[in-house]
Amino acid sequence: MTSASKVSLNRRTLLCGAASAALMPVVGFPRVSFAGDDVVKIGFLAPLTGPVAAWGKPGLDGCKIWADWMNEAGGIEIGGKPHRIEFASYDDEDDAGKARAGATQLIRESDVKFIMMLGGNSWPGVEEIAARQGMLVSTLLPSDLTPNTETLIAPCEVHPIYNVTGVDWLAANRPELKTAVICAQDDALGKPSVATYLAAFEAAGIEVLGDPLFFDPATTDFAPVMTQLLAKNPDILCLDTCYADYVHPLCEQAFQQGYKGQIISCTLDFYQRIVERTSKEFMEGVIFQFPDFDDKALNDPRINFRKPNEFYAEYVKRYGATEWSAVSWEYSSIMDLWADAAQRAGSVEPADVLKAMKEGGKGKHAFGEARWWGKDLFGLDNALVGDWPVVVIRDGKATIAEFRSIPDWWDKHGDLLIKHMTDLGQMWSQRT
Amino acid sequence: MSDFLLQTAFNASYAASYMALIAVGLVLIFGVMGVINFAHGELYMAGAYAVVFFYAGLGLPFMVAVAIGLVFVGCLGMLMELALFRPLRTNPLGGLIASIGFLLMLQTVAVLGFGLRNQNVPPVSQGRITVGGAFLTYERLYVILATVGLLLALWLFLRKSKFGWALRACAQDREAASLQGISINQTARYAMFIGAGLAGVAGALTAPLVAPTPYMGHTVIVTAFIIIIVGGIGSLEGAVLAAIIYAFVHTFVTTFFDGVIANIVGLLLMLAVLVVKPQGLFGVRERA
Amino acid sequence: MPERNTISGAGWAGILALAVVLLAVPHLVSFSQQELLVFLTINVLLVVSYRLLTLTGEWSLAHVVMMGVGAYGSALYSKLFGFPVPLAMLAGAVTAGLIATVLSFPLFRMKGFYFLIGSFAAGEVIRLIWKRFTDPFGGPKGIQRIPGFPEIDLGFLRIDFYQPENYYYLVLVVVLVSLWVLYRIERSRIGLTFHAIHWQDKLSESVGIDTFGHRMLAFVVASFFAGVAGALYAHYLSTVNPNQFNVDTMVYVLIWTIVGGTSRWYGPILGVIALTIIDEVILRGIGADQWRPLLYGAILICAILFLPNGLESLVIRAGEALRGRSASAVTGAAGAAQD
Repeated sequence: MTSASKVSLNRRTLLCGAASAALMPVVGFPRVSFAGDDVVKIGFLAPLTGPVAAWGKPGLDGCKIWADWMNEAGGIEIGGKPHRIEFASYDDEDDAGKARAGATQLIRESDVKFIMMLGGNSWPGVEEIAARQGMLVSTLLPSDLTPNTETLIAPCEVHPIYNVTGVDWLAANRPELKTAVICAQDDALGKPSVATYLAAFEAAGIEVLGDPLFFDPATTDFAPVMTQLLAKNPDILCLDTCYADYVHPLCEQAFQQGYKGQIISCTLDFYQRIVERTSKEFMEGVIFQFPDFDDKALNDPRINFRKPNEFYAEYVKRYGATEWSAVSWEYSSIMDLWADAAQRAGSVEPADVLKAMKEGGKGKHAFGEARWWGKDLFGLDNALVGDWPVVVIRDGKATIAEFRSIPDWWDKHGDLLIKHMTDLGQMWSQRT
Repeated sequence: MSDFLLQTAFNASYAASYMALIAVGLVLIFGVMGVINFAHGELYMAGAYAVVFFYAGLGLPFMVAVAIGLVFVGCLGMLMELALFRPLRTNPLGGLIASIGFLLMLQTVAVLGFGLRNQNVPPVSQGRITVGGAFLTYERLYVILATVGLLLALWLFLRKSKFGWALRACAQDREAASLQGISINQTARYAMFIGAGLAGVAGALTAPLVAPTPYMGHTVIVTAFIIIIVGGIGSLEGAVLAAIIYAFVHTFVTTFFDGVIANIVGLLLMLAVLVVKPQGLFGVRERA
Repeated sequence: MPERNTISGAGWAGILALAVVLLAVPHLVSFSQQELLVFLTINVLLVVSYRLLTLTGEWSLAHVVMMGVGAYGSALYSKLFGFPVPLAMLAGAVTAGLIATVLSFPLFRMKGFYFLIGSFAAGEVIRLIWKRFTDPFGGPKGIQRIPGFPEIDLGFLRIDFYQPENYYYLVLVVVLVSLWVLYRIERSRIGLTFHAIHWQDKLSESVGIDTFGHRMLAFVVASFFAGVAGALYAHYLSTVNPNQFNVDTMVYVLIWTIVGGTSRWYGPILGVIALTIIDEVILRGIGADQWRPLLYGAILICAILFLPNGLESLVIRAGEALRGRSASAVTGAAGAAQD
């Protein structure tokens, strides 16, 4: 017995030797931050592997184009000196803990001046570090905003509030449609979106038949979902903010189950595939919110996104036409906003850039001049809203029908949105 | 209303079919080798990508692509048997870990080779049969018919052929089978080919209907485990029956309530079966 | 029989060296690695408590959900009912233990693979309840802004537990105490009975051992410590959501435990440390990016093929080699072991 315990203790000493040996190389690992003093580092903290990677990786690819163009043009001029832009990325795997370690690395080791995130699951892990370090962070999901998140901005996709523009346009152009049904996946993306559509339908005088149908994100067969929806005989089928994995089979089921009415959806990524699997006639007139960037309407002078058609062409050239999705351009458009503010501030320090960004309560959103807004919904004005495109499928191709103003809608119907957000527990004060 | 019920029954039959293919493959692998193949969902994914590559990409006829999918995934299965499960035969937990490693590799290969996005598989047919107010598309009908055909063939094979006899013997008692002069290695190799091939063919057949992604295996594996538990592991008939029960319950609950409730009901159904019959509907005693 | 430990001089030296390393580690690594260190230490408790459960021969897939019960419980007790955080942590862990007690009744009717999947289903039902019932569990987004561990202010000394190095020491103390308790349980009569049930189920029963009671006890104790790990996690990260406790996370716990090995108490610890360093430090360090899961998968396969009994078998073999040498050089063993 005695000898056994001695050995086990000796093993423990051995173990600690092994552990320290294993940790030793770790000490050397922190990446040497860039020596050159005229390089600005931007952090990219989003899922790059795993099931949510489709919301991060294409954005990083887009940012590479953005950085190449910026650096070829001599970099960004800050205080009279040109600076190169470099991206430092960290794969947060859509997990708060990994995001926390990633944010620490980006801020304290890579010395980045701005961090772009997907947000959602990962943001709560970063919240306090960002606050303590005064780091400017952007998210694609404004539901991350609360009155305390002063350095967090939602400057591009103010999901889901822009969905009102589609319904608004529909009501103006097809007033004969009177009833709608809604389905959504039961998650953090689906719920606020449902509230928005409910508010938009109510504002437009369209009756929503029955309760919105929530389905589980792990659903594999959408036939029963569609059977249930179509049983109510709606004029409008609203697919809410579903991921492509759901939008595709839902559209196909609607087609196969003989649906002939109007479809409205937030996203329609890879819609060519749906057109192919259903028919041009079936998809004609489907409304959604994300334009192709080869759309000529984006060359309108009020659009702030730089060279959208060229950006799309370059993206397709580098990564293939089929890889283009909504997030491909979103992170880059945030960089446009950031670069503009940094130039005006003459500084890349987060506090200065944020101040310049929010100067006068207005900002240059990708789709035109916009205002910083959100106090009523999120508790502070850190979401940038302005016009948003209503996109319609015409002859199998996504076309921008019109840019419609979100603030105009909000000024008239804001109370409806607050009512429905409250009903579904989506107001910042209700979020636990 | 009767149309509505019939439509839901059609939907459920389709779901039952592909789940039965997956579950029967999983049962076969577990029965013969005693290993929990966590990569089974990724084998299903690999079958779908075979169709993406050969049918959508190279333009081969759909049924040819499905056949290639079956053989290709079956070979992947034999590779797993040879490289992973055979060296770990006495170590079922090791087999489990190896299958998880293999799963991660398959997912990454799909991401690197085809990208993250949903794959586009052109429709095989847009035809449909209509019964009253309900209908069934040919694409779904193919899945149902192919499942019935394959499972019948498998049943005949297991009942009539010498290999089938060896397979069943191994599934019942490996040591005893070995004493009877049955080659464990060979039997395991065939079981793995058939089991993986069935998952692959399920993925291949449903590829036009689901828009394949590298992570699609994730959603079916859990359901497959539930089904084989309800059916009683080691029982092919049980797996088929459980797939039908589960698909009908899940589809009807989804249609009349919602999908999350359907999942909870599915899990509770399984727990209830296990509490009443701790070895599943058709289960035999737990193997040591 | 519970054994008496007599600790030799070399043993004390070993303990001292280990203590020095454990105390020094946060100051030797980078900032982001300090964060990893906190999570790693919490995960050590997770895998060691998991091993206790596996001693009876049953492999559960509910362990991570039990961690989640501790995390959700502790978060809600402190946030909704205003419990002080340390008390909330304890209450969260007790909740995990209680839920495990209730689940024992249906689950331990099953064995082997049935138990594995049965435990998965039970855990999944709990997880879906968090997801489905927004009040009070927060739905898919979970709970945010969970209060942190209260800071200690002694005037001259202020300890802010948001800082990873400080929280690490707190976690270290809790984990070491927990490990000691788990170690004592395994070495006690109860622990020996666990082993007996694993190897000789029917025989144990026939000599009057209450196998159900012992299985339940192992499950409850393991779940309690998983709950402790969950509580430590929740109050550090300040957020919990249902995704954090899904089957993917459980698969990682299985991987860590099995790759480390389960015949010794330190096996899972080796597994979690080695694999975390490989994945989070080395693979990220070399910029593997999209290749990371592939390389990790390949490493898993190699580990299990070449070390089927786990990383611990390396240590055991090394120990045996040293003991072999000590037989010839009677006095040298203790000294050599340290080299």
